[in-house]
Amino acid sequence: MSTPPATVVLDNEAVQALADVNHRKHRRTLAILEATNRRSGRRGQHISVVVPVAVRIEAGWDRAASAAAALNRISRTRDVILDGQAADRATQLRRQAGCSVVDATVAQAAEASDGPVAILTSDASDMRRLAALIAGDTRVVRL
Amino acid sequence: MKRRSTPIEADLFALLDRLDGDGPTVVSSIRQPAALKEALKVAVGLGLDANANEATVQALRDRLEAFAQRRALDAHYAAHPEARPSLAEVAQAAAELDGDPLANEPALIRRAAKEIEAIRPGATADDVLVYAVALHSGARG
Repeated sequence: MSTPPATVVLDNEAVQALADVNHRKHRRTLAILEATNRRSGRRGQHISVVVPVAVRIEAGWDRAASAAAALNRISRTRDVILDGQAADRATQLRRQAGCSVVDATVAQAAEASDGPVAILTSDASDMRRLAALIAGDTRVVRL
Repeated sequence: MKRRSTPIEADLFALLDRLDGDGPTVVSSIRQPAALKEALKVAVGLGLDANANEATVQALRDRLEAFAQRRALDAHYAAHPEARPSLAEVAQAAAELDGDPLANEPALIRRAAKEIEAIRPGATADDVLVYAVALHSGARG
């Protein structure tokens, strides 16, 4: 049985695709946001879209920069903060999966968020491996 | 004539962005159906949220966020019409987000979107998915 996610986590390329209207996956990423917005607006079924802070750093997304105004507005994402406890968990996941630092924080953010969780990523195979290591209903959506 | 809506919209986004901080709070009263107030009380008792205030604030915030994002997306499409995803693309995205097996049948979703748009303008992605299930069941039956 299918269940809408409660949270969508963005990876680096999802952010890049949203930020750049000329990116080949810009429209595809907007389709994801449309699906979440329509449900939040019409069905009152709020879906949070979140971004780990390490992803923002990798993607060069400075929310305070004027160039980021459109991205801030269309994405309406909330930051997932990396505190000491989260860093410990991300370190464990990185060790287990042999993944990048940023991917580990994406998995940690997914695990810490209200589920079900959908991770929006360009690297579905690596992220599926990480998703298998974390608790909760986590699905991986390829960009 | 310059539209007055622009500065007000900027205010909306700025105010929503401030909600993540520990900003000041105010007490306000609203007129609401008595049954709604009672239903909220029961729902909180059943675990909806920690208390009625939190449930009310979260529900209002979610609605405002969705409205603001809708405005932003529509403005983006006005500036970049080619960026607007089709109904079939949104339905495909919804199926993938849901972990719906229909996500593996993009041709069926495209067909459902095309047919439902012809008979029901304003159809949603969820309408498309329901229609696609019917098409799928019809094909099997």
